[in-house]
Amino acid sequence: MTQVIQVVILGTLLGGVYALMASGLTILFGVMRVVNISHAAFIILGAFFTFFLWESTGLDPLLGMLVALPVFFVFGAVLYRALFPRVEGSPRFSEMTVLLTFGLAFMTEGLMTYFFTGIFRQTAPSYRVEAFEFGSFYVPTAQFYALLASVVLLVCLWAFLTYTHTGYGVRATMQNRMAAQIVGVDVRRVSTISFGIGMALAGAAGALVSFLFPFFPARHWQWIAILLSLIVLGGLGSLKGAVIGAIGLAVISAFVSRYIGPVWSPMVFYGALFIILLVRPQGLFGHQARV
Amino acid sequence: MTDKPLDAVTETALMSAEPIVVDPEVERRRRRVRITVALVILVLVALLPFYRSLGAYNYVLQIGVSIFAWIALASSWNILGGYTGYISLGHNVFYGVGAYVSALLLIHLGISPFLSAALAGLVALALGLLAGLVTFRTQGPSFIISTIALLFIVLVWFDAWSLTGGSNGLSLPLPPFSREWLRVPFYYAMLLAALAAVFLGHRVQHSKFGLALRAIGADQVKAEVAGINTRLFKVLAFALSAFIPGVVGAIFAYSISYVRPTIFFLIAVGARMVLMTIIGGRGTVAGPVIGATLIILLNEASLTYFGATELNLVITGALLVIVLLFFPAGIVGSLRERGKLPAFLDWD
Repeated sequence: MTQVIQVVILGTLLGGVYALMASGLTILFGVMRVVNISHAAFIILGAFFTFFLWESTGLDPLLGMLVALPVFFVFGAVLYRALFPRVEGSPRFSEMTVLLTFGLAFMTEGLMTYFFTGIFRQTAPSYRVEAFEFGSFYVPTAQFYALLASVVLLVCLWAFLTYTHTGYGVRATMQNRMAAQIVGVDVRRVSTISFGIGMALAGAAGALVSFLFPFFPARHWQWIAILLSLIVLGGLGSLKGAVIGAIGLAVISAFVSRYIGPVWSPMVFYGALFIILLVRPQGLFGHQARV
Repeated sequence: MTDKPLDAVTETALMSAEPIVVDPEVERRRRRVRITVALVILVLVALLPFYRSLGAYNYVLQIGVSIFAWIALASSWNILGGYTGYISLGHNVFYGVGAYVSALLLIHLGISPFLSAALAGLVALALGLLAGLVTFRTQGPSFIISTIALLFIVLVWFDAWSLTGGSNGLSLPLPPFSREWLRVPFYYAMLLAALAAVFLGHRVQHSKFGLALRAIGADQVKAEVAGINTRLFKVLAFALSAFIPGVVGAIFAYSISYVRPTIFFLIAVGARMVLMTIIGGRGTVAGPVIGATLIILLNEASLTYFGATELNLVITGALLVIVLLFFPAGIVGSLRERGKLPAFLDWD
C-alpha cells in the first residue's frame, strides 16, 4: 500500500508539470484553433534559455523561469504577428496551422542542434538531487518545486481568464470568435496576447524541464506526442480537461513504469487517446471550448 | 447508393474549384506532348543502369532508388491527404510495418522480399483499414494528432518487442547478387513501385471513388448529404494509401539489409511525404512526383555541400513554412492557377 501511494505521489508531481506544458497548447487551440506542433520545441528552447542563464550567471532555474516568462511572451506575440495573419481565413485553418507549426518545429530543432549541439544537458541547482520525507513517503524536492511552480502559474492563468477584462475577451473568443468580434472584442489583439501567453507557458515549462530531465533538441517530438494526446483526450481547448487528463495519465503511466517497465509508460498516453477516440471522440470534456 | 446522383453533386461541388479547359483540340495536343515526354523520361530512366561507364555508378543508382521510393510514398500519401485533405503525419507506420513483415519472412522462412513485398503491402493495407476505423472517428486537427499517436504507439511497441529485435532492429541476409550489379534489381523494383503508385493515383483521380474523395475534401457535409458514405470512403482511402508504402518498405529494407525502428518510425520520415506532396501540389498526379524528385536531389546536394544534418532539418522546415505561406497549392497547383502549367506536367 505504501508503495502504491508512493507511485501516486510521484505520478502527481510529474502530472502537474505535464498540465503546465499542455495548458499553453490547449489555450492556443481554444482561442485561435491553432494546433501548435512546435510547442514542445519551444519548451526545449525555454530549457536552453534557462540553462544558459544558469550557466553564465548562476541564476537559479526557478528564478530563470521568471525571466523566461516575459521574454517568451514577446517572442510569441511577434511570431504570431509574423506568421498567422497570412493564413487566417484560409479553408481548413486548423490543419494549415498544424503543418505550419510542424515546419516551425523542424526549424527550431535544427537551429537548436546547430547552435547548441545535440548533447544532453541539465541545470544542476542544489535541490535537483535532494528529497524530503513526508510521513513515510519520499518526495523529490526538485519535482515538488516544479509542481508548486506549475500550480502557481496555472492559478495565475485561471485568475487572469476569470477576473481580468482581457481574460473575458479571451474566453469570449474561445466560445465564439465571430460573436466576440461583433460585441467589440479586438480579436486580433486577444489572439496576439493568447499566443504570447501560450509561448510564455512553454518558456516557463522549459525552465522546469531544465532541472527535471536531461534535455536535447530532438527530445521535443516525444513530448509533443504526449502533450497532443493529452489535449485531444481532455477535449481540444478545454483547460480543465488538459489538467485532469495530465495528472490522471501521469499517475497511470507512473504505475506502468513501476510495474510493467519504463519503456511502456509513454504508451499510456497514446493508448488512452485511442481508447477515448473509440468511446468518446470529442474528448473527455466535450467539443465546446470551456475554461 | 446509385452512381448518378454522386456524379452530379460532386461535379457541382468541384465546379468552383477547377474550371475545366474546353477546347478539345488544345486538350488533344497537350495530351500528346504529355505522353511523349513521359515516355521519353521513362525510357531514359529505364535504360540508365545499362550505362555502366557512368561515374559513381552505384551512387547514382542509389539516388534513383531513393527518388522512386519517395515518389511512391508521396503519391500514396496524396491519395488520402491530397484528395480528402485529411493529413496523416504517421503514414510511415505502413512503410515501416511493410519493411518488418518482409524482413521477418526473409529471416525466418527465407522468402525473398521481392516476392513478399506484395504481402507486406497487404499487411500494411489491413493495418491502414484498422487505423482508419479508429482515427476517422474524429476529424480536423484531432485526426492529425491521432495519426501522430498511432506512429508513437508503433515506435514504442517496436522499440520494445523482442520479435523485431527491439531498438537494435534486425539484420537481413545479404541479397544474392554480385556486388557490381547490386543496385540494379532494387532500381527496377523501386521504379516499378513508383510507376504503380503514380498509376494508382491517376486511376483514383479519374474514378468515381476519387471524385467522392475530392468531394469530401471540398465539403464533407455536402458530400454526406449527397449520399456519399464519407466515413467508408475515408477509411478505404486510408487503407489504399497504406498499401504501396508497405511494398516500398519491404524493398527498401532489403536494399539496406537491416531494419531498425529509427529508420522507419521517426516523425521526420512521415513529414517528408507530406512536405514532398505539398511542395509538388496536393491533389494532383504530377505533384508528388515533382516534390519527391526535388526534395531528394536537394537533400543530396545539401548533404554534399553542408554535410550537417541539422541544416537539412532547418531547410525542410523553412521550405514547408514558405510553401504554406506563399504557395499553398504547391508547384503544380500554383502554375495551374496562373494558367502556366506546361503540358508535360499536366497529368490529371
